[in-house]
Amino acid sequence: MNLNKTPQRIRVIVIVVLVGTAVLLSILDSTGNLNSLFSFVRDPMTIVLGWTSGRAETVSGALSGPRDLQSAQEQIALLQNQVDSLERENEELREIQGEYQLLLDLFNRVRQSPEYTRQTASVIGRDTSPSIRSIIIDKGSDDGVRVGMPIESARGLVGRVFRTTPHSAQVALITDNASAVPSRLGNSRATGLLRGGGLGGSLTMDWIDLKYQVEVGEVALTSGLGGEFPQDIVIGRISEVSRSEAELSQQAIVQPAVDFDSLEVVFVITDFQPIDIDIFSDPPSN
Amino acid sequence: MKSSVYIALPLFLLLAVVQTAVLPYFPIFGIVAQVPLLVIISWTLLHGLEEGLVWAFVAGLSVDLFSIGPFGATALAYITAVLVIASLNNFLPSGRFFLPVVYAALGTFIYLLVYLSFVRLLGYGTAFGTISNLVTLVLLNAGLMLPIYWLIYGIEHSIRPRRVEV
Repeated sequence: MNLNKTPQRIRVIVIVVLVGTAVLLSILDSTGNLNSLFSFVRDPMTIVLGWTSGRAETVSGALSGPRDLQSAQEQIALLQNQVDSLERENEELREIQGEYQLLLDLFNRVRQSPEYTRQTASVIGRDTSPSIRSIIIDKGSDDGVRVGMPIESARGLVGRVFRTTPHSAQVALITDNASAVPSRLGNSRATGLLRGGGLGGSLTMDWIDLKYQVEVGEVALTSGLGGEFPQDIVIGRISEVSRSEAELSQQAIVQPAVDFDSLEVVFVITDFQPIDIDIFSDPPSN
Repeated sequence: MKSSVYIALPLFLLLAVVQTAVLPYFPIFGIVAQVPLLVIISWTLLHGLEEGLVWAFVAGLSVDLFSIGPFGATALAYITAVLVIASLNNFLPSGRFFLPVVYAALGTFIYLLVYLSFVRLLGYGTAFGTISNLVTLVLLNAGLMLPIYWLIYGIEHSIRPRRVEV
């Protein structure tokens, strides 16, 4: 046995074992065989994630307003102590107003469609993997959240639940490449399939029949077809239409209504009345 | 393999939490840097292939815990990046300023290439259309490499000072 080659052999074995394990785990996960293991490992991490996310959001909020701080400092130099305390009081009121606005938006959204049963959830994490768009929320299977449930915010559709643990859930955003949402346009009533993965977080609406005159600025809504999403949830606005007579259908670029980078609170739609598609499965009676 | 491997698991679980719950609040040019990747590249340059591989594996799995992508895909991409960088590091002269930056850019590029190809192979939808974002990520990681590399280098030298032979 050549002892000089032993470290090299060990090195090759380590590489093969690590690469093999990574590939095997990926295949097992893709086929859904690791879900129970994930619940076991991910759930305790959710508590840490929620706490960390809350602190980071506070720090980020404080750092993102340097202009306010700067102008406040200038005023401190000019004004007396009384004005200073009033300024601070004002800041607190603005914070409360922001929270009030957020809650008002959420309340209005609920009032618009009271027929859905909703669960409010906070966003506690974001996927930073390239080309995969997802968020983590602080509600899971113990709260009644199930895989496939639609997620919306006060401004519009966010995505669908991809995976759950007892106390958290991962949500695939509609901007994710794998996302496909049956959708409809507000004015022209044209239907199509909305896909994620566009440049700058935009969405692409495919398979729009050429007979429809699609206009820039039209609102895109969920059509409810397929029964996976409720009807008439706002998705975004048409920003570009590509229409070629040589093609069988036209395509439109949709700018989402939701700012996915600043999502704080979302709704999990736990129950809704899907469109009745039984007529397609029942054989005709005569 | 040294005892440093044992700190990899808690360190990268912590880094994965930071990557998922903290860094998204502080994007640079709208992009979140891949800090775990920069840490494993730095460690590979300082400690060689074997430790780099194990760190890459642990880091990748930790990051994948919070991703909807296939579990293990990031580990595979990190391992590939470490393999290439460690091989190049054997041939090229060592440097503490210019080369770590080049390795960070190269490592990020390899990571992106392997990750996107592998998840596509497994049937996950990926778009190669967001090239501008990917280029920004490569440049951002390269820009952040030196602070991270020197931080790890400094911590290591203060904890384990080099033995001087007289």
